[in-house]
Amino acid sequence: TKVGGRASSFTVVHGLQGLNALAEEAVHPVAKPEAVVSAGPQAPVLRRCELPVPATRRPVQAWVESLRGYQQERVGLAELHPDVFSTAPRMDILHQVAIWQKNFKRISYAKTKTRAEVKGGGRKPWPQKGSGRSRHGSIRSPIWRGGGIAHGPRGPTSYYYMLPMKVRVQGLKVALTVKLAQDYLHIVDSLELPTSDPQYLTELARYRHWGDSVLLVDL
Amino acid sequence: MAALSVSGVTRRGLTWIVLGAPRREFWSRFRHRLWYQDTSGSFGTSNMEHERESARKEKTLVVAETVEEAKKEPILVCPPLRSRTYIPPEDLQSRLESCVKEIFGSSVGNSWQDVSLEDGLLKFSFLARLADDLGHAVPNSRLHQMCRVRDVLDFYNVPIRDQSKFDELTASNLPPNVKITWGY
Repeated sequence: TKVGGRASSFTVVHGLQGLNALAEEAVHPVAKPEAVVSAGPQAPVLRRCELPVPATRRPVQAWVESLRGYQQERVGLAELHPDVFSTAPRMDILHQVAIWQKNFKRISYAKTKTRAEVKGGGRKPWPQKGSGRSRHGSIRSPIWRGGGIAHGPRGPTSYYYMLPMKVRVQGLKVALTVKLAQDYLHIVDSLELPTSDPQYLTELARYRHWGDSVLLVDL
Repeated sequence: MAALSVSGVTRRGLTWIVLGAPRREFWSRFRHRLWYQDTSGSFGTSNMEHERESARKEKTLVVAETVEEAKKEPILVCPPLRSRTYIPPEDLQSRLESCVKEIFGSSVGNSWQDVSLEDGLLKFSFLARLADDLGHAVPNSRLHQMCRVRDVLDFYNVPIRDQSKFDELTASNLPPNVKITWGY
């Protein structure tokens, strides 16, 4: 997932199936959360942490919502692993990962000609001494108009670099933590919509005050 | 006739890319065409007409199915937008107490504020019932802080205002030499 958007209007909606895959960097197959049957008209969706939680920490929780109806918020309760959803808010790591995502794909194609590549300029324009003009060796030196560029961009340059995998993973965890702490994270049981109307999702986001930009992630 | 699509037409020649059409039908079309040209009689035309009729029937069937599917989908109307302001009602304590007794059983008694919300099912049913009742839910970031009913009570005692600070300032009584313009 990309980290971005203005803080006031960016919401992340998680499809609920295998959230803790992020902590282990391996995508687990889809596992529906166990539904505990209760006396209500519909069984609430309760999700436990699949991976063991350290004894000193307790899981963080979030409401499980549904996209099937406008007012189907609070369909269940999901427990989220504290190592993913309540790590230390390392803004420096988040910044590193954001800048890396922006730069590692960049190839700048800017190229300028040096004095050797500019057409012409092999001959000494006038003799060294006697003409009264300043001495020059070629008409394409960088101090001449129309001459080459001394220290310009040279050819396609790649800005590719890879942050260590653990840093990138930590960046994701920090992003999720921050989104949950700012109430911009919503867990959804599945991404099924009741209608094929494209306006339905926008109206739903408007009704539930999700913000101007919503990222839907299917796990 | 099965749908044919031409894509990637270059200047050198036509590259036919057939999508969704089995080979037999593709070549049979040309076979029929050749036959039609050779015989210039009724053989070619009858086959082509059959194919056209079957294509028409398929089209009508497909159209009927999509119309039925569109009719089966429910037309959901968005309910009116809610404001996020929340004013705690005066009988908040009694409402909470009755909720606790409904969900946790009446065995709680006087220490209803100390009931722990460890169990996921009970916590969900309690908080969902309260949220539907009062029109205001505990946000995700503070769900893990709700360990006892006392925490929930403290949360619901805090009023929440929808206005930003600037809107409040513009609405309040300002001295005549202070002007706030906030166009966004």
